[in-house]
Amino acid sequence: MGASLASLDPAGAGSSPEEVAALAQIGPLVFEHWGAVDTPVGAAGSGAFRVTSWEAGKRAVFAANEEFREGRPFVDSIEIVMGRAAHERLVDLELSKTDLTEIAPQDARRAAEQGVRVSASQPDELLALVFVEHDAPRTSGSIASGNAAGRAGGRASGRPLAPAKEEVMGQALSLAIDRVAIVNFILQKTGEPAGGLLPQWSSGTAFLFPAAAPSAADLEHAKELSKEIAAAGPLVLGYDSADPLEQSVAERIVVNAKEAGMSVRAQAIPGAGGGAEKSRSAALQAGHVDMELVRWRMTSPLPGEALMDFLSRIYAGPLAGIEAGALPETASPEDNYKQQRAVLSTYRVVPLVWLPQVYGLSARVRDWKAPVPGENWPLADVWLDTETPTGVQ
Amino acid sequence: MRPSRGLPLGIRVALYTIVLGLFLSGAPRVSYAQAPSELPKSWNDSVARLADEVAAAMSPTVVKLDVENISSLDVSSAGAIEAAVRVQLQRHSFSFAAEDSAAAQSVARLQLSLSESAAEYVWVVQIINDQSDGAVAPVMIVAAPKADFADAAAGARTLSLEKRFVCKQAERFLDFALWKDATSGEVTLLVLGTNRLTTYKPAGSQWQLSRTSPIPQAAPPSRDPQGTINLAEGKITVKGFACVGDPDLGEGVRCSASKPIRSLGGPRIDIPGFPNSLGTDVKGSCRGDFVFLFTAEGDRTQSDSIRGRLTKGIPLPLVPSGNSLEFDGPVMALHPDPADGSARAVVHNLKTGEYEAYIVTATCGN
Repeated sequence: MGASLASLDPAGAGSSPEEVAALAQIGPLVFEHWGAVDTPVGAAGSGAFRVTSWEAGKRAVFAANEEFREGRPFVDSIEIVMGRAAHERLVDLELSKTDLTEIAPQDARRAAEQGVRVSASQPDELLALVFVEHDAPRTSGSIASGNAAGRAGGRASGRPLAPAKEEVMGQALSLAIDRVAIVNFILQKTGEPAGGLLPQWSSGTAFLFPAAAPSAADLEHAKELSKEIAAAGPLVLGYDSADPLEQSVAERIVVNAKEAGMSVRAQAIPGAGGGAEKSRSAALQAGHVDMELVRWRMTSPLPGEALMDFLSRIYAGPLAGIEAGALPETASPEDNYKQQRAVLSTYRVVPLVWLPQVYGLSARVRDWKAPVPGENWPLADVWLDTETPTGVQ
Repeated sequence: MRPSRGLPLGIRVALYTIVLGLFLSGAPRVSYAQAPSELPKSWNDSVARLADEVAAAMSPTVVKLDVENISSLDVSSAGAIEAAVRVQLQRHSFSFAAEDSAAAQSVARLQLSLSESAAEYVWVVQIINDQSDGAVAPVMIVAAPKADFADAAAGARTLSLEKRFVCKQAERFLDFALWKDATSGEVTLLVLGTNRLTTYKPAGSQWQLSRTSPIPQAAPPSRDPQGTINLAEGKITVKGFACVGDPDLGEGVRCSASKPIRSLGGPRIDIPGFPNSLGTDVKGSCRGDFVFLFTAEGDRTQSDSIRGRLTKGIPLPLVPSGNSLEFDGPVMALHPDPADGSARAVVHNLKTGEYEAYIVTATCGN
């Protein structure tokens, strides 16, 4: 029996984060193992499946590897259809043309209401606002100092903003942004407000980083902070032009900032596709962007490992040039908490929401388990119940 | 499943028996000071470290300790940890303001949060200072392994539960019993419904209807009917009536209105560390502890489970021990069998809609 996936675009350009994440699943299908740094282990074809057909950007077919050392997959083959838009993928699912597809978190509730069988992971992808690092000379600071003093990066828009003011701006935005509204209205309750760099289910300490809707006192405080900053035109907030979720969130932030007396302008950054692993510094530099939205997926369910990965991105990005506090190899919950507190006290990284990975399944898919961070799709374990009538559940 | 109203009578009676027994035997009233010994060593160490950190962060004083459990720890485990934290803080010369006293409004507040990560339990104490002007409250964090509460000590004897399916039917029933005739050795299945007692005889692998004896119903009928079969005394109790065998339960019953059972206590009390679910004591002991069986704390729309718990008596908690038995619906009734370490469970299978009878046996072993 065969299974089919939908809507992948190996070319990458213009791919949505969901498509890129789905593409990343192909490698582990055909190689014996998939290394920690996205490198294959073993020869191609030593994995659970072998490629039997490949039409770039259109279609790929994988056949079960009868000699896979962990046992032959239950399905005979998998057909992957590429280049399908999000709404087309859902229609394919509803018409039983496909068995499995990724669904954008903001579409999950609507899909479920339409009868689509939905599977969601624990929230494991952080959507955050980060200040953009620019190539201006700076002196090294230390995260232990608890602030960004010593930084000398100027604003990309050409109007230098003192580091201390940048910190104040970040704090004011953190106070003013209504994370609960983002979850409730934009994400249709698929996700969780984020106050820290790790979700509660992983760290157990996320409740120490409040992410409630801003109170009147918070907004007042944000207004006071924004008054401390001399207005030099709007701050520019960049978002991935291929990501409708980022666009909606950016527009919401503009509104929240205005309520706190700040001027922020949202700007789409074209060609920024790459989902969780965006590398768009050139586009950001060219676009005179002060802040950007990023989506970072956890690489492990273990809090120490996931935080280590996030910190490597943070100290290569918004906190570049600042000496990182040492995170022990086997970090305790307290170590993880202190590291997060140190990073967040700079206000150059403002967590917004946690997103789950959402999948749409046909009625006949059995033994599908939404993978945890670091796991691949369990396609070798999935089987199809041909007794079950296909169609929308 | 949560009991519909208060604690089941059997549990209350058992508890009062334990309490009474301890007092009559002259046992001293146990204070918090004995609670930590109920925890695994690694958990005790974590609690001690947490208290050490609190003591390092603030001078000993009168405090109010608020506890929030946001982990998968059950109520009794959380209660044991709270008790242990209190003892450790007392050792550091902290004292606690009475919950409703005027002093409690003005003393320093400690917020103990029992949380968990993907790998371990995480226990957090925040020193709440209302005058801190928005500053981050001092935080103390310790980790504790997710080892089974009761089984942490290597080689500890634990309860092992087994279930044996007896019968099922579409109509709800309140209790059942397997009655063996002493002379003929013939087994009879008694099923107590809301308005009749039905007896079945074995016929191959099936049960064959043998007799139906009506039981009068209280007026108005209860929305939460309860009843038990007491084979040892040869009688049946349903709300408002007591029935005796005529001449024995297998041959028919004779019922008369019964007086309401007088409550042993006053108003219902919430006992910290006591599960808010259906439960019963069972005969026997395990490593010297009393043995209880409790259901999960769901409602009648959910699947359910039964797990054994052990306690030395007072103070609680009832410590979970051994495996859980899973059921496809709520456990509607749980009755002890005085003859051995077993209990009778009536389960409403939500998948089939039928009511099922199980015998649950608890054995103690390594």
